[in-house]
Amino acid sequence: MKRNLNFIEAGSLLETSETTSVELTKIYLEKIKEADELNCFNTVSAEQALDEAEKSDLRRQQGKLKSRFDGIPIGVKDLFCTKNIKTTASSRILSNFIPSYESTVTQNCIDAGLVSLGKLNCDEFAMGSTNKTSYYGPVTNPWKSNKSDAKLVPGGSSGGSAAAVAADLCVASLGTDTGGSIRQPASFTGTVGLKPTYGRVSRWGTIAFASSLDQAGPITKTVEDAAALFEIIAGHDPKDSTSSTKEKENFLDNLNSSVKGMKIGIPSEFKSDDLPLSTQKAWDDCKKLLQSNGAELIDMSLPHTMDALPTYYIIAPAEASSNLARYDGVKYGIREEGKNLIEMYEKTRSVGFGDEVKRRILIGTYVLSSGYYDAYYIKAQKIRSLIKSDFNQAFEKVDAILTPSTPSTAFEIENEPTDPVQTYLNDIFTVPINLAGIPAISIPFANDENDLPIGLQLITNSFEEQKLLNIAKNVQDTVNYESVPKNWWQK
Amino acid sequence: MKFDKDSLYKLGKLSKIQIDESKLKSLSSDLGSIIEFIDRLKSIDTENVDPTSNSLDQSLVMREDIASDVNTANEILENAPQKELDFFSVPKVIE
Repeated sequence: MKRNLNFIEAGSLLETSETTSVELTKIYLEKIKEADELNCFNTVSAEQALDEAEKSDLRRQQGKLKSRFDGIPIGVKDLFCTKNIKTTASSRILSNFIPSYESTVTQNCIDAGLVSLGKLNCDEFAMGSTNKTSYYGPVTNPWKSNKSDAKLVPGGSSGGSAAAVAADLCVASLGTDTGGSIRQPASFTGTVGLKPTYGRVSRWGTIAFASSLDQAGPITKTVEDAAALFEIIAGHDPKDSTSSTKEKENFLDNLNSSVKGMKIGIPSEFKSDDLPLSTQKAWDDCKKLLQSNGAELIDMSLPHTMDALPTYYIIAPAEASSNLARYDGVKYGIREEGKNLIEMYEKTRSVGFGDEVKRRILIGTYVLSSGYYDAYYIKAQKIRSLIKSDFNQAFEKVDAILTPSTPSTAFEIENEPTDPVQTYLNDIFTVPINLAGIPAISIPFANDENDLPIGLQLITNSFEEQKLLNIAKNVQDTVNYESVPKNWWQK
Repeated sequence: MKFDKDSLYKLGKLSKIQIDESKLKSLSSDLGSIIEFIDRLKSIDTENVDPTSNSLDQSLVMREDIASDVNTANEILENAPQKELDFFSVPKVIE
């Protein structure tokens, strides 16, 4: 079997009977076993996967396919509730939780005949940019620097989802993005990561972090794959009151990579002397590429860009502190006994949550507490309006915006700064997009001087994912980035 | 800004999280540095700006109130750390 088989290719191989879902599933289960060291999966559901694969092969024989991608094995972030399969959010507090229902996103995948190989490691409750906050230990990036043997972070919070696709442990995967949790790990692993418009993909059954920002999306090997998987998971869901009623489009079939006459905005606020030279060069090269393919570059401004990160670190913890109040040792998850009810709550939450989650709950509680609510929370919501208005004005003049995805490439697992704010800076280029609710994609563009992938971010206006995917495909097809990590982890 | 012991304990009580005495110092410095970071916003003029709570330009969608048989009591109680009959069970509360 070809290494790094993508979603579209897998669909074709199944269609022409060159492989079966059972064969593909077995290959990937074997690869997952060999890549134990990367720690990508929290749970491998081998039995269920083979069972589903058999059913898919039967459907194919009987001509009753659920979709043209029926039978393709994927990985699922351990944040989506999956019926009868353990769902932990990579937290000790949910380490024994087995949902009795299926999230809409994973149900949509089941309805398309996709086969889930298991649940992918992530930062605890999706809070982190390194995958180090997981109760199940960090994920290792399949990429290594050509100058050192040190293990690197895959980014986060969808670190397992991105690393598994980069290491070819699944054909594609599902992630979630609250402040960059799909795009930053995609950038660190040389994969494609799409964060859809808020409301495009149902949040029902996805363990909540910050409800006004959370959005699920695909992490894949190509832009076409992202279009295909996005099409499968998107659509209105009556069970999510913030789910958009907009009709979903045929994102894959409608892909058209022409950028002729398109206006691409280059925001001055993203330029910085701190940006590594190789990232700056990749950004410049991409501008030239788009220009030579017929697009027009427009210098522009998003004045509140630098205010987005502190705004996010009020709104996201505030919503998190409220969402995570439900974990109290009563309805599900672990319980630590106490002398009385309050002590039981406190002990359960102290033992069940990790340090980063506790920090965010405490900060969230602080900014929502009496006397601080207006000064922090309402203030942040007002600045959120200013950030959104920056983008609204920008999209009157440009079709899309091009920026780097991250301020650096992947760094060493042991080298994370001790000050949490320094870690938060990883998401400086991705967070404004979530606050505005608009879609963005990270695509691999080049490797830096250490042979590590550099991702670039394209951003469009709300519900313009088709345009976003079209431009991304243009860049992908022109730059032809084909690097894959050396498979050092195989025993 | 630094959080003193009393304010950290108060925050812990509000959040229902026990604050470990051995971690008081690091927690105070971590939270202090986050508050210092978000305090940057104080200088931004937000006079006459309306707050945004949700980025979607659509009012919340209602659905028909139809009974379904998913998430039945038995299924839900499967995950309960302690149950009695058809109920979640918690330590006794006497006031």
